[in-house]
Amino acid sequence: MAIDGKKQSAAESLRKTRTFGKVRCHNPSCMDRLVPEPGSDHVKCPTCKMEYRIFWVNPNLPRIRGPVWDVNRKIAQEKMSIYESSKKGDK
Amino acid sequence: MALDRKIAYINLTTGEIKTSSIPLEVRKKFIGGRGLDAYLLFNHTKKGCDPLGPDNALIISGGLLTATCASATARSHFMAKSPLTGLLGSANMGGFFAPELAWAGFHHLVIKGKAKKPVYLYINNGEIEIRDAENIWGKTTTETQWAIRDELNDQEVKSCVIGPAGENLVRFANIMTGIKNAAGRTGMGCVMGSKNLKAVAARGTMDINIAHPVEAFEYNKRFIDQITSAKVNQTQGTLGTPFIWGATNSWGGVRTRNFQYNQCEYADDIEPERIDEICEETMGPYHMSGCFACQVHCRAQYKIPSGPFAGKYDEGPEYTSQGAFGGEPDCKSAETVLVGNHLVDQFGMDNLETGSIISWAMELFELGILTRKDTDGLDLSFGNDEALLEMVERICYRKGFLGDTLADGGIQASEKIGKKSFDYLIQVKGMNNLHSDERATPALALNIATASRGSDHLRSRPAIDLYHLPEKVLRKIYSNPIPYDGPLSSEHTEYIGKSWQVFWQENCYMAVDCLGICKYHTMFLGATLPNFEDWPKVIYYNTGIEMTPEEIWDVAVRCNTIERLFNIREGLTRNDLKKGDTLNHRYFDEPCRRGAPDVIGKTIDREKFEIMIDEFYKYKGLDKNGVPKPETLKKQGLKNEPSHMV
Repeated sequence: MAIDGKKQSAAESLRKTRTFGKVRCHNPSCMDRLVPEPGSDHVKCPTCKMEYRIFWVNPNLPRIRGPVWDVNRKIAQEKMSIYESSKKGDK
Repeated sequence: MALDRKIAYINLTTGEIKTSSIPLEVRKKFIGGRGLDAYLLFNHTKKGCDPLGPDNALIISGGLLTATCASATARSHFMAKSPLTGLLGSANMGGFFAPELAWAGFHHLVIKGKAKKPVYLYINNGEIEIRDAENIWGKTTTETQWAIRDELNDQEVKSCVIGPAGENLVRFANIMTGIKNAAGRTGMGCVMGSKNLKAVAARGTMDINIAHPVEAFEYNKRFIDQITSAKVNQTQGTLGTPFIWGATNSWGGVRTRNFQYNQCEYADDIEPERIDEICEETMGPYHMSGCFACQVHCRAQYKIPSGPFAGKYDEGPEYTSQGAFGGEPDCKSAETVLVGNHLVDQFGMDNLETGSIISWAMELFELGILTRKDTDGLDLSFGNDEALLEMVERICYRKGFLGDTLADGGIQASEKIGKKSFDYLIQVKGMNNLHSDERATPALALNIATASRGSDHLRSRPAIDLYHLPEKVLRKIYSNPIPYDGPLSSEHTEYIGKSWQVFWQENCYMAVDCLGICKYHTMFLGATLPNFEDWPKVIYYNTGIEMTPEEIWDVAVRCNTIERLFNIREGLTRNDLKKGDTLNHRYFDEPCRRGAPDVIGKTIDREKFEIMIDEFYKYKGLDKNGVPKPETLKKQGLKNEPSHMV
């Protein structure tokens, strides 16, 4: 009800799951939690091998700035060639 | 009381002004803001009215909670029939205008007719005056606001204005306030220009009595704690919205070179952290600011660091400008993004539409569909920063064949250019897409295909679908306030359960738009931000109206149906590429080529997409063609529309 102050909403209770000092891999199907060394500028995902540049919003809040372009382009090109081969196979 | 605020009906042809109160029955049905605007538009326009004619109604509003003790209640909303799409026009902005309008006594303005010469409205403590604007016609958006303050000898006046783009009837002109607060999308500035209305200025000192002030303040502390502790908002308060573009580009969700690629590679100079460095270098360490009653402060301040515009002050850039003047045209210079952002702010032009339509023209140029003859000699190649900025100005002032053509929006331009140009236009319902690429994200594809104002991320996007949240977390969110026991999937590439998420988000966003709250304070980018369960207390403490989460949900559903009724009335059909709930063929035919491994090769599966549409229609109570069923209208209390309650 409108004035019930005791119950927590879903959003309020989910806040408890908040983590510190971690980022999630940006590969959407991987999404592993990565823990960069404090102050480091780089992290590699041990699961999917993508590499990222790290930016620290504050000392407890790392953020992925972007991919390490050369590494991730190579991974993308390999994946694309597999995709194109499979498409040729379809025909 | 917030409930005291009135509606004003202003006819610019005759000069007649009427005011009326808003009955509680109407508040309970539509709350206010965008929802009540939709009701007013449906009731005060007729089928087929000319968007640029005097019979179109331009509606300006604040939400129910605007200027109360509730957080982030800064939003102004604008609605009319859109000159860009011929369907629903709707635009929303932050800043300080809507609270000032509320303090001046009004929550809604319904403006019809056309003034014989340029005018502006001055609204001051319940009084409305139509004033001559010939001396400010032609000025930029900020010059206009300063001139009005000087003329009224009151530096506290807050105005929403149009710039040269609105005056020149660019069909995607914005209404603006402050430096960069933009009511963008669907060309509401063009409607204002068509009425010879340069600005609406407000100044008010009429108190808004809070129903339960002590409780309202106390509860708002809890609200603020919830909002400011979210990671996403802490990042917003440091980097502004550009962080969204950066994060999306990282995995390959940003369309580049119009729609050829889904990632802007090696774009370090336009990444949010680089933009932030420039802001700090030019404005110092405390360069983030915010709108009325907001604790997030996502608005950066900057000066252009170099080049012909060096030293010019502006705010932002938002993530939309990074896409518009960065990724889409494949320009990778921070200076270009900052200048492009500055130009559209001053001209009063939609950054998103501008960047998209120029990027489309660049692809046509690359394909030979447009030639140097069409561009008056301009090399409109991708990555040509100078050509990009030149085209911004040409569109605003309708210079040359291409500037004039693009100023009419994508569909009209494609009809003029011909030669299969339409096939390359990335739009829905006549409005160009955001800079995001939805080929790997079916939920987001459904969102843009079905959004009421055309392709849009702020009407129903389940952005948290990208966070790979566990199913139990998704269920906790998406089963409130209405029980839902259907499927939900953590996989962003899945199709299952996404139609419910889009439906839920559509209602969530409608609710905040009715209340006048910013979307960064609800379940848009963060899963821990307030939603239906949290709003009843805010509404009750501030206004005295008791509403359950379920009742707020019902209002949102009803208001979305009213928007649907308007669109159906104006010609929306399910599969119409120009006026329907569907996507450009490239979503289905051309695979993603960049980004994270699992994004590569992704397209939207047409069959599964159609199933999602069917499900979405079912949740909304629509038939197979997307038309509200009679029983839906009856259940939602809309079977007698237009009912002319106000």
